[in-house]
Amino acid sequence: MNRRNLLSLLGMSPAVLAASPLLADDKKKKEKEKGSASAGVVKLTALNPRGLPPPITLIPMAPRPASLDGKTIYLVSDGFPGADAFLNQISIWFKKNMPSVTTVYRLKAGGFADDDPKLFAEIKAKGQAVIMAIGH
Amino acid sequence: MGIPSAPLVTRAFKDLAILNAAKRGMPHERICFTPHPVWGKTPEEVRVYVEGPDPVSGKPLMKEIVDALTVPLSDDEKKSGIVSVSVGPPTFTDTADNLQDFYLNNGYTDFLPIILPTEERVDAMMKGTSHKPDEVVGKMAAGAYPPWSYNVRQAAASAVMAGCRPEYFPIALAIASTGIASLFSSTNSFAFAMIVNGPIRDKLEFNYGIGALGPFAQPNATIGRCWTLMSKNLGNGGIPGDTYLGSLGNNLNYNNVVIAEHEDASPWVPFHVQRGFKKEENVVSLFRGLGVVPGQVARGSSANENVQFDYQMSDLFSTFTGFFGALIIADPLVAARLKEQGYDTKEKLFDWLYKNTTQTVKDYKSRNYAYLFEYPQALQGREPYATWYKLPDDAVIPHFPRPESFNIVVAGGQTNAYPQAGNLSYGVSVSIDKWM
Amino acid sequence: MVTIAFKDLALTNCAKRGMPLQRISFTPHPVWGKTDEQMYAYLDGNDPVSGKPLMKEVVDSLTRPLTADELKTGTVTPPTGAPTFTDTADNLQQYFLDNGMTDFMPITIPTQEKVAAMLKATSHKPDEVVGKMTPAQGAFPPWSYTVQQVAVNAVMAGAIPDYFPTILAIASTGISALFSSTNSLVSAAVINGPVRDKLQMNYGIGAMGPFNQANATIGRAWTLMSKNLDGGGIAGETYMGSQGNVINYNNLIIPENEKDSPWPPFHVQKGFKPEENIISFFFGFNITQGQGGKGLGVKPIPLYNVAMSANVAPFAGLFGALFILDPLVANGLGDLGFKTKDQLADWLVKNTTVTVKDVKTMLFSGLPRGPEAANLTDDSVIPKWPRADSYNFVVCGGQTNPYHQLANMSYRLSVSIDKWT
Repeated sequence: MNRRNLLSLLGMSPAVLAASPLLADDKKKKEKEKGSASAGVVKLTALNPRGLPPPITLIPMAPRPASLDGKTIYLVSDGFPGADAFLNQISIWFKKNMPSVTTVYRLKAGGFADDDPKLFAEIKAKGQAVIMAIGH
Repeated sequence: MGIPSAPLVTRAFKDLAILNAAKRGMPHERICFTPHPVWGKTPEEVRVYVEGPDPVSGKPLMKEIVDALTVPLSDDEKKSGIVSVSVGPPTFTDTADNLQDFYLNNGYTDFLPIILPTEERVDAMMKGTSHKPDEVVGKMAAGAYPPWSYNVRQAAASAVMAGCRPEYFPIALAIASTGIASLFSSTNSFAFAMIVNGPIRDKLEFNYGIGALGPFAQPNATIGRCWTLMSKNLGNGGIPGDTYLGSLGNNLNYNNVVIAEHEDASPWVPFHVQRGFKKEENVVSLFRGLGVVPGQVARGSSANENVQFDYQMSDLFSTFTGFFGALIIADPLVAARLKEQGYDTKEKLFDWLYKNTTQTVKDYKSRNYAYLFEYPQALQGREPYATWYKLPDDAVIPHFPRPESFNIVVAGGQTNAYPQAGNLSYGVSVSIDKWM
Repeated sequence: MVTIAFKDLALTNCAKRGMPLQRISFTPHPVWGKTDEQMYAYLDGNDPVSGKPLMKEVVDSLTRPLTADELKTGTVTPPTGAPTFTDTADNLQQYFLDNGMTDFMPITIPTQEKVAAMLKATSHKPDEVVGKMTPAQGAFPPWSYTVQQVAVNAVMAGAIPDYFPTILAIASTGISALFSSTNSLVSAAVINGPVRDKLQMNYGIGAMGPFNQANATIGRAWTLMSKNLDGGGIAGETYMGSQGNVINYNNLIIPENEKDSPWPPFHVQKGFKPEENIISFFFGFNITQGQGGKGLGVKPIPLYNVAMSANVAPFAGLFGALFILDPLVANGLGDLGFKTKDQLADWLVKNTTVTVKDVKTMLFSGLPRGPEAANLTDDSVIPKWPRADSYNFVVCGGQTNPYHQLANMSYRLSVSIDKWT
């Protein structure tokens, strides 16, 4: 499934679903099977059981540098098994292919979803980009 | 932060990464994907990943990363503003059969038949509480997601669907008020438990005798089920690949572990009294962990007059992860025997278990959770992990970090002196009375 | 003589077996764990049910002449109630619940129409006898049941007609999901073959949990059948599990993830063809998760076999070990050198050991018999399970992380689902 379809799931309204060809066909099929009995079938109204999702505040992405030459990239792991080994291979790749790039490895503190203000302050002060390995 | 970033995620979490980035405000985040898994691969295998393509886009991975960090932003990527998320219309109208299918296909159920939440039934459910329909009960997120909020009426819909009676509703509301979901996103397929204390157990006819944990009473069955339905509908939990990533899933999630304590048959204070409530208060206490196992077959369990339940438990706990605690679910016969053995308070038992359930440092370090969750804490100086990680491999340390890791609740029908035990940590206790 | 804890069980079972007036005497509970003095005190005291002095009552039972009722012979047909019930939908929900025909959760009311639709999914006739079931063989007389009666339970569970052959296959074995034992034992069923995809079963993320209609309703139907088709699940009478087991709500329905497994599927291992639709049954204590196991934190490749071996330490030897491995674990074991299930089973046999002393302290674990047992001392180290076929493996899961679950269960049998289409 591509990103557009996936994102549409976030705001997909059951009303839209109800109007979709898929459900309409399903309904038609059921009606056909019931035959003349459908005329007398009672309809109910039931409540939507969903809670209230929070609105999404869009965050503009950070402007990009024209190139990475001479820049410092922080390679950050959130601590999942194998992340350190993976980021190590990335630093080896940079040394081989883009030697003017400096890489700095860091393990983010705390659990995988925790903030690490100290680390991010350091990156803001000393780095120009981040590659972050995210897992669990 | 304002720094150009290229997040890397393995392809197993593609949907999760894209959806979560969008929920948090960056729908066009330039996420790059690697093959899966990274865990368990040798450096040589990982090098091949790095030099190969992103399995989702097909593009060379490192080129894609460099592009992510250098290609100028598009107009969409620069956008700010607020986007509201719709959950659809407030009601659905169709035949009963079609509505059952509709609710199932829209992910509102646990895939079993529900009682359809008509206006009439939801109103009847809400008579079980004095709280107003539009009152906000709490917020819930089934993991590291922006939480959803919900009111009394929305909780009532899930309670109706589960098959609860209106008199069960205050318990459902109490659980909903904690914001704890029983379908948690982790790859670990966590299990959840509740202990119910107070006179409400008998008023609602909870089963705390034979078959206490199984399908033998309406409050036990439907209140447990209601927690799962609320976690899906109120907290947006349980969407595989998006808000649920449990690799194998957990059978206990259907109804959760519902334990009404057999307070009269316990030689100790009831669980809620231990937590500071009065005996006559109605309280529900929530736990989280990996699951529940039978205790009657561990070492120390053999059939003679001196069954050593303390040794039995200690042996059983050797396969638990110390990251979660241990909740002993003691049949009254087991509790009576433990008291006879000299454990006239729960604390005495927990102290003994803490000291006598041990492991070597070598074994400790080889465990997955130690490496994932406790080693980072050791680095931050948190005890006991900081000390444990400095000890030699053959040193002997406790299996659990502290005596407070243990809990015990009494339930069962005394047909035999059998206990069960959950690798479960205590979370919170809340008043049910508040929601009446 | 029976302890008071089993009063209902004793009385109802005597009646079911033809002696409704059997002169049973009751003692206090328990007897297990009591000293000689305490047991003598029971005998010296009163029957807690009748209030009469116990030993006098026992002597009386053996000497008092029989009454006319006690001398009766003949056949009694137990009533099972009316064939149909008519009322509003809400009242019917309540009626089924109040009459012990459900698992206390909402059912799909089994109308003639819905049962007829379910019956269309099999070529077997509605009144064909499917099998016999009892909550415990030898302890309760088994009940028999027809295709139609199974269909009613399948509808109640929320199953759709496509699932019916699988549910019939379960019913045909006569295996109850609500075994009456005080041990709160559970059953599992592994499903193989193309039927898994035809029914869109879930063998990926959340396979064991509430994320799929087939997995959920087939499991639930098993519980409902175990109540309704054999008089099972009546607490205190036909169900004696002291604490019960959460797993009994839906039981363990495990469709194998055949496509992501490096090994032959379970049913092929048992001699069936890959294209056959087979359901295989396991029985035992429980299922647990493996994340606590030693060796899983080892880098770069976790020692899955070491963790599996460590995790079964508290299992009862009476049953075997059924491992449910995420495909990442099955493939990871291949990286560690275990290319076949047999290689893994052999390693586990050799490396999963206990001392004789420890076995002696474990309930439901026995010592080996035969000539080799003669030389054993308390310190002898022996395999926990000497036979490789005590270990079984099924691959299931969504590969989000290399985790495994493990059940203290033994394999019982496999049956054909195709037979019931």
